[in-house]
Amino acid sequence: MSASRLSAARVLLARSVSTVKASHDQENEILIAQRKNRPVSPHLTIYQPQLTMVLSSFHRITGVAMAGAFYALTCGYAATSILNIPFDASVLVGVFASLPVAVKLSAKALMAYPFAFHFGNGIRHLVWDFGKELSIPGVYRTGYAVLAVTAVFGSYLAFF
Amino acid sequence: MLSLTSRIGLSSSRTILSSQTAALFRPILIRGIKTIPQPPGFIVGTVNDAYVPPPPHKLEGSLHWTSERLVAIGMVPLALAPFITGTSSVIDSTFSALLLYHCYAGFQSCIIDYIPRRVYGPLHNYAMYLLTFGTGVAGYGLYQIESKEDGVAGIISKVWKA
Amino acid sequence: MFRSVLRFQQPTRAFVRGLATSAEKTSRIKSFQIYRWNPDTPEVAPTMQKYDIDLNDCGPMVLDAILKIKNEQDSTLTFRRSCREGICGSCAMNIGGRNTLACLCRIDTDTSKDLKIYPLPHMFVVRDLVPDLTHFYKQYKSIQPYLQRDTPPTDGRENLQSIEDRAKLDGLYECILCACCSTSCPSYWWNQQQYLGPAVLMQAYRWLIDSRDEASKIRREMLQNSMSLYRCHTIMNCSRTCPKGLNPGKAIAEIKKQLAFD
Repeated sequence: MSASRLSAARVLLARSVSTVKASHDQENEILIAQRKNRPVSPHLTIYQPQLTMVLSSFHRITGVAMAGAFYALTCGYAATSILNIPFDASVLVGVFASLPVAVKLSAKALMAYPFAFHFGNGIRHLVWDFGKELSIPGVYRTGYAVLAVTAVFGSYLAFF
Repeated sequence: MLSLTSRIGLSSSRTILSSQTAALFRPILIRGIKTIPQPPGFIVGTVNDAYVPPPPHKLEGSLHWTSERLVAIGMVPLALAPFITGTSSVIDSTFSALLLYHCYAGFQSCIIDYIPRRVYGPLHNYAMYLLTFGTGVAGYGLYQIESKEDGVAGIISKVWKA
Repeated sequence: MFRSVLRFQQPTRAFVRGLATSAEKTSRIKSFQIYRWNPDTPEVAPTMQKYDIDLNDCGPMVLDAILKIKNEQDSTLTFRRSCREGICGSCAMNIGGRNTLACLCRIDTDTSKDLKIYPLPHMFVVRDLVPDLTHFYKQYKSIQPYLQRDTPPTDGRENLQSIEDRAKLDGLYECILCACCSTSCPSYWWNQQQYLGPAVLMQAYRWLIDSRDEASKIRREMLQNSMSLYRCHTIMNCSRTCPKGLNPGKAIAEIKKQLAFD
């Protein structure tokens, strides 16, 4: 009696689950096909912004911005000297002097704060490259110090 | 005779989801830039094969890193000097040269991070050529600035005080 | 006989009354928003599903909560778990925006805020909260995480190591390879295929500074390219998120120092 009940259960179980016989290569093929379907889990949109990654991204952004301006200035100089367009510091000074005071101050602030931040964070990076302050308290300590230096040095450069 | 993958319902949905995952990970920012398709799951070979790193190249590895740090260390006093002593031609020329290399290394790092060769192939190389060419032009411009003007520090201080 | 039974029942009744005080507390319902994706319906985009849990009936850790959801509300919720004590590394996931182990992460008892649970960032998702760690393990295998010697040990029997040399391995060997650090690194997000990531690099350092190992030269050579080690820009997200309190960022900085004048 129990044998027939067991076989009945086995039949029921067999009907609810279907299996496909596959060789090793076929299984590999299935795996690769499954991999193609998989989505990538969210990253920037869900990760909590932390001081570590925020300061690092600002370091890169300020670096790229200032390097872009530096290249613009130097390549502008090179291009105008090759093309014989009159261009030197007095042109830039003239353009800048003619701007209203508010625009001048904000332009100076826009140049001073990134410079101060990149400089301070650059020193922080050099400290790290010597192996110092690489703990989490150290990272946060130096991070806040860089923010303080940016505020002080940047304000000094921009407004005095 | 249906293939094994279609019998278990795998092959048809590939294209539907790949367009959705494209927004998430296929790095095309501008429509029309061809990227090299990556192996599914980023997995090359079987699950038991170790990842194979590229052949060693000290110039791209430790020497590059060390030179970046040495240049940065050199730049720190040279950047502060004009604020303390005023502009000087020697300090400014060395600082500008170091700054040019620093910008080049920085941009190169960005290109390797965001325009990697394995995804963008020849576009990565074009980006590096453009960077090198731009650095050359900027170098010539720096030579002009140092010889004709009061150096980069001179220009900045003049504009600042305007 | 019956009188003795009755007298025996009274203390148990008092005991039961003592337990009954938990039912008088008002229920604290916390909402969990959990990432769901089903590979059987791959055309359906991943979604967030909301579950409510009474914190009074639940253990303190996030793993207790998701196990309760799986047991009582939705048995299709899929995640990895094993030891429930923070030593196996299976339940690594992104909880509240940070990568950590679910079994070690206390549920924030503030019921006004939802708790968001995602799989480890920028990994291919096998199902719900299960990431595909195959490439991570292949990268680990590539650094040859085993002792390599050309010469037999000096006393012919054991590879002896001084106490100071053994102390150098502290903070490195305890890694459980949960992948929390690697998947918190933005450089690993963008260049997962070629950059080894903090977890693997910390193990590479563990073998580099092991005094018994004689293969330092090949280990260092393996890292001499622009991608495997040098995509690290000292972002330090890794050390911030390590659930075991280890410091992969420092280990990577030490590798760079060792390689600097190689």
